[in-house]
Amino acid sequence: MNKALQGSRFTPLVAALLVSAAVSFTISASHAAEPTRYSVLDKDGQTLADYVIPKDADISHHENAEQILYGKRLLNETKHLMPDNVGSHMNCNSCHVAQGKKPQGAPYINTYNSFPQMNPRAERIFQLEDRINGCMQRSMNGKPLAEDSKEMRAMIAYMKWLAQDVPHGAKVQIQNSGAIDMSLTPDPMRGAAIYAQQCAACHGANGEGRRDASGTMAFPPLWGDESFNLGAGMARTYKAAAFIKYNMPMGVNTHGGWGEGGVLNDQDAVDVAEYFTHQPRPGYPDNIHDFPSGKRPKDFRE
Amino acid sequence: MGKTPKIITLLAALAAVGIGGGMLGAHFLSQHRASNDTDQVRESSAQPDLTDPRLIQQGAYIARTADCAACHTTPGGAPYAGGLAMQTPLGAIYSTNITPDLNTGIGHYSLADFTRAVKHGVRADNQPLYPAMPYPSYAIMPDEDIAALYAFFMHEVDAVNQANGESTIPWPLNMRWPMSWWQLLFAPEREFVANEQLTPEENHGAYLIEGPGHCGACHTPRGLAYQEKAMNLAKLEKSDFLSGAVIDGWRAKSLRSEARGLDSWSKEELALFFKTGRTDKVAAFGAMADVIEHSTRYMTDADINAMAAYLKQLPPAKNKILAFEPKEDTTTALLQAGVNLDKGATVYVENCQVCHRADGLGMPRVFPALAGNSAIFAKNPQSVIQITLEGGKTPSNDVDVMDFAMPSFNHLSNQELVAVINFIRNGWQNQAPEISANQIDHIRKFLLNKAPNLVFNTVSNPGSHSVTSPGASASASTRGVDE
Repeated sequence: MNKALQGSRFTPLVAALLVSAAVSFTISASHAAEPTRYSVLDKDGQTLADYVIPKDADISHHENAEQILYGKRLLNETKHLMPDNVGSHMNCNSCHVAQGKKPQGAPYINTYNSFPQMNPRAERIFQLEDRINGCMQRSMNGKPLAEDSKEMRAMIAYMKWLAQDVPHGAKVQIQNSGAIDMSLTPDPMRGAAIYAQQCAACHGANGEGRRDASGTMAFPPLWGDESFNLGAGMARTYKAAAFIKYNMPMGVNTHGGWGEGGVLNDQDAVDVAEYFTHQPRPGYPDNIHDFPSGKRPKDFRE
Repeated sequence: MGKTPKIITLLAALAAVGIGGGMLGAHFLSQHRASNDTDQVRESSAQPDLTDPRLIQQGAYIARTADCAACHTTPGGAPYAGGLAMQTPLGAIYSTNITPDLNTGIGHYSLADFTRAVKHGVRADNQPLYPAMPYPSYAIMPDEDIAALYAFFMHEVDAVNQANGESTIPWPLNMRWPMSWWQLLFAPEREFVANEQLTPEENHGAYLIEGPGHCGACHTPRGLAYQEKAMNLAKLEKSDFLSGAVIDGWRAKSLRSEARGLDSWSKEELALFFKTGRTDKVAAFGAMADVIEHSTRYMTDADINAMAAYLKQLPPAKNKILAFEPKEDTTTALLQAGVNLDKGATVYVENCQVCHRADGLGMPRVFPALAGNSAIFAKNPQSVIQITLEGGKTPSNDVDVMDFAMPSFNHLSNQELVAVINFIRNGWQNQAPEISANQIDHIRKFLLNKAPNLVFNTVSNPGSHSVTSPGASASASTRGVDE
């Protein structure tokens, strides 16, 4: 290089160029995108004030902030914080995506305001406590919590906070899960191949899940002793398929809360769901009491 | 009263003479630039057989090592047909069509023309190229390699009829003739000089990095005339070579051996990164993801190891911190306890922790670590800010089954972003200067104003092009290197 010539001689010319460039830069607004607003309908179909998903930082403004935060932690770290009640290595938020804040990812947004409700599986009216204990025994493969326990009250407090000012009986216009074509016939062989391509990198070649460097389960186990049992909704092919299609794989897109989805079509999702749900997993003998009138869905597990 | 107009006339006349002289001189310079070199190519009696499949294969590999595709191919576009927008402070420059099309590409280039363009930055019509094309680096490539490259482009690459895009640099700044003077000053003819202190492997790595790899185009700071401040490590510790720079809103990290450079990388990690774009700790993003996807992943293990060996022995750059002060990790315990979290930690738990984890170590080969990741604690936060706003994708490779991506978090407010970015830059054992909302705003504006790539419809209407909305090319590779 002509080292002696570098640097200084071009300075005036280039400085002039840079100044004119700086001036020619357009001045444009630059701020965060407006948050998504969801409409809210009351039980008579009347429109109420829009709903915006709250941020965690908002929790501290509430009188029972400590309880709400504890509930949030319990839902995130269920196994870690309630080892006596959780048999699997799963957390509530393994399936309730982004702390229950993601439409089509089993959100808790309408949960608090939707109970009591008729439970189709039990064919009786469920309180929210009943519903949570259903998860504890099935998805968590564990034991129910006392309804007045600190843990139960805290989880419900979080769900109540997430509902914000939406009154009881009104509904935020979001979907709990996306649509899936239930007429499709599952092909588990094809599902195994999809699993290897789209799932195994995180959930492990044998569905065993993957732990982080601190030993915490990061990607939940999809089958085996540490997974959910046969009584869980996620053990049902089409329920699992709907979850997978809209929430999995995560971390593959530059948009969406988790960078999720957009990879599998209905058939892919049904195939891979059939494959992984039917791998060995803990049983749930109380299944025999489900759907007592006998109208069982076609993906019911025994 | 008549005095002022006279002075103006005189000044105008002088300016005209000056500019005219400058233009004439530039014409002369370009006419004669590298003419000895190219005369040799033209008159060489031992012209290679340009249709020899082995030569073409060799050229294909050299095209990989020189990463021609990263700039001359748009995402989803025809190979080497150009149209990629490169952002400069003066406007966007579009990479050109280097397919062998006779009308819009380089089909009419002789080997001598091609050599002069690639190594010396002069087009077949004697016009100088902007130094976005890294000819100052390519200058050290042997003529035999350029001949192989030529054979590849002429006989292997499909001709695509696709007109070149006009740069958005306004007149008079878009005039090319001053580039001839620039070339005289900053892009002399030169050859690779091996360093006797280095092993043959390290010297081979040095050649790949200084020459075809043109790593300095992004990683070496540029002077006021946009020239790379150093093209090699001739003056050792005084040199700015590969000491880190900002290009296209990305911080291209220092590759020297200080704490924020490659000190936290092993030679093996560098090699694995070139091969796959990932290690257990990091993942390539931004412009480097394109480098891996189009170039280094195809390189032989010998070439990759040579580059890693060369980089790992580079001395620290001047005025840089050699090692961080020891620091205890209190962040992991804080996040695991989950209470008394400040604003940054709260935003982290809500948006980041599910992938990057409480210990900040991510999930190896899936989600990169933030703790101990040299991209995070870079002094200049532009890369961290840009990837947080825009998201990013890991390059495809031949080892991992899946590619992963980080979603965009541009919906977070400036205050939330400042809090969480400061949290990760100083969490665990990371140490970095605090950032401000102004810096977030700066990158938001940069992204809004980013010129999109040209989008062509070569099938139905050859040569026509339209411009997509800026958002459509959000993740497009925009490297500051081309014509």
